[in-house]
Amino acid sequence: MSPIDWIVLVLTLGGIIAYGLYKGRSTKDLDGYFLSNRSVPWYMVLLGIMGTQASAVTFLSAPGQAYTDGMRFVQYYFGLPLAMVVLCITFVPVFHRLKVYTAYEFLERRFDLKTRTLTSFLFLVQRGLSTGISISAPSIILSSLLGWDIVWTNIVMGGLVIVYTVSGGARAVAYTQQLQMIIIFAGMTIAGYIVVHQLPKGVGLTDILHIGGKAGKLNIITTGFEHRGGGGAASGGHGGFDWNDRYNLLSGVIGGFFLALSYFGTDQSQVGRYLTARSLTESRLGLLMNGLVKIPMQFLILLLGVMVFAFYQFHKEPIFFNQTQVRLLEHSKYKDSLAVLSGRYDAMEAQRIATLRTADSTGAVWPYAIVDPALVDSHLVALDREKAGYKATVKRWLDDKTVDGDSNDTNYIFLRFVTDYLPAGLIGLLIAVIFLAAWGSIAATLNSLSSCTIVDFHKRFARSKLSDQQEYKLSQLYTLLWGVFCVAVAQLAYRLGNSLIEAVNVLGSLFYGVILGIFLVAFYRKKTGGQAVFISAVITETGVIVLNVLSRKGIVPLSFLWFNVVGAIGVVLLSELLQLAMKKKT
Amino acid sequence: MDKERVPLFGKWSYWYALVIGFLVVCMAVFYFLTKHFS
Repeated sequence: MSPIDWIVLVLTLGGIIAYGLYKGRSTKDLDGYFLSNRSVPWYMVLLGIMGTQASAVTFLSAPGQAYTDGMRFVQYYFGLPLAMVVLCITFVPVFHRLKVYTAYEFLERRFDLKTRTLTSFLFLVQRGLSTGISISAPSIILSSLLGWDIVWTNIVMGGLVIVYTVSGGARAVAYTQQLQMIIIFAGMTIAGYIVVHQLPKGVGLTDILHIGGKAGKLNIITTGFEHRGGGGAASGGHGGFDWNDRYNLLSGVIGGFFLALSYFGTDQSQVGRYLTARSLTESRLGLLMNGLVKIPMQFLILLLGVMVFAFYQFHKEPIFFNQTQVRLLEHSKYKDSLAVLSGRYDAMEAQRIATLRTADSTGAVWPYAIVDPALVDSHLVALDREKAGYKATVKRWLDDKTVDGDSNDTNYIFLRFVTDYLPAGLIGLLIAVIFLAAWGSIAATLNSLSSCTIVDFHKRFARSKLSDQQEYKLSQLYTLLWGVFCVAVAQLAYRLGNSLIEAVNVLGSLFYGVILGIFLVAFYRKKTGGQAVFISAVITETGVIVLNVLSRKGIVPLSFLWFNVVGAIGVVLLSELLQLAMKKKT
Repeated sequence: MDKERVPLFGKWSYWYALVIGFLVVCMAVFYFLTKHFS
């Protein structure tokens, strides 16, 4: 990075910390520390919800996902608007009426102490570990691409945010998230503009869509009935429904609905955001607006990936986006083979780009879709196949046990483009965007981990009553301790490599379904008691964990998104049966 | 329970219909894009 990039990065991050400290200075008690004195307007609730959900990986991984797998990932969010509606009708009014600090407080009033404690404990375990992983995942990518030390990158990624979160609590979190989201949107918009600007003259947004479509990247809607590979709704396809396919219409609407309902309705990091609203109306508005803007926002982030794909049709694409892994090969037994392969690859890329740029007889540059079909069929397609072959060879070498590399470079695509092609200053801004996205999510989580620890455990089980000042100081201490814990997890987790990102999603799905099931029984099955729901939750949670093991071993072909459905329905049905059995016994 | 005025539409059910309707529109537009550019 150039000095100007460093200046932009340091000023942006420093500015956010200073702003957080300034805005949080008035916080002096528990109500202010965890609920911002219930004073936040709907648009800040909206930005808080979005900032909490969108982690650094969202902005790093999603464009790369579209680049490699197409835009079908957007279907993952199809259940979200439906979940927002259900939350506004059911969950949110109850939380507001009871004036709870945490979602789990409600469970004690509805069931009993042990159900509240179990649910809060599951949340703390899952969120504490996954936040550590969330810190580590972007740190690995940044340290790998920019040559930074991983330990220090983890500390900056997860450590600096502790400063204003400890000091200002929910108020500091809400105000910084507002500013962070504005900077993030500005940074991503500028990146999108520069991609289009750097394409050859005459190639515009419609051409980008044609290029993406021709290459199968605009597979936005997939039914799950296509044969493996997800060619899009238009591709027809054959065979039965693929239950192992992660992103399709059905898994997006049903699995995504359960996941979103659980995440926004029962995860304290989200519940804590809309409980800060100044009224029930403001909470509802913030959630419903999230239901309106989330899918278009995710669509645009994925479209950025397709834009970068189109960009690399006219520019030389690296043989592998993660340069660290290429260096690993350069020091392995494949060193000589790599040199030969790279030479051939470079020559082929030069030929491919030259062919594409001179494809039109008038001299204008045309993308695949409207270029001479014969040329597409014969020359370019053949070159593309050759290119895919070179890339597959590099991945095969990285998978070799003697190399022990990471053959997945999806998460490096966007940032590699940023560092290679964006002008000085903007690279710093985009790196800052990654940090801010991480901070928004981590800050909200630390605040929620602290609120559950003090409200659901410390205060609940303390023998003597704490003063307001003691509660406030203890809350700050727990925020600090959770921050240190998460950074420590990050320092250990980075050894797992890129599989971390998947680990976050899978970890969430292991617990969310069961937690949601408990809340669904609480809201919709009025006659079911605490004993039945507690036993059901323990049995179902064990079952979901076993299911995950079987799924990973390939014995049960089920994508992790379905764990949410299994967990939720499992708790509801089992508690119903247990309640009936208990009733008969008495 | 919620005695405050519902903004814009007067009833929350209209808001819910808007959110679900918008989801359906998004799906339709995405389906069109998938078909058109395949």
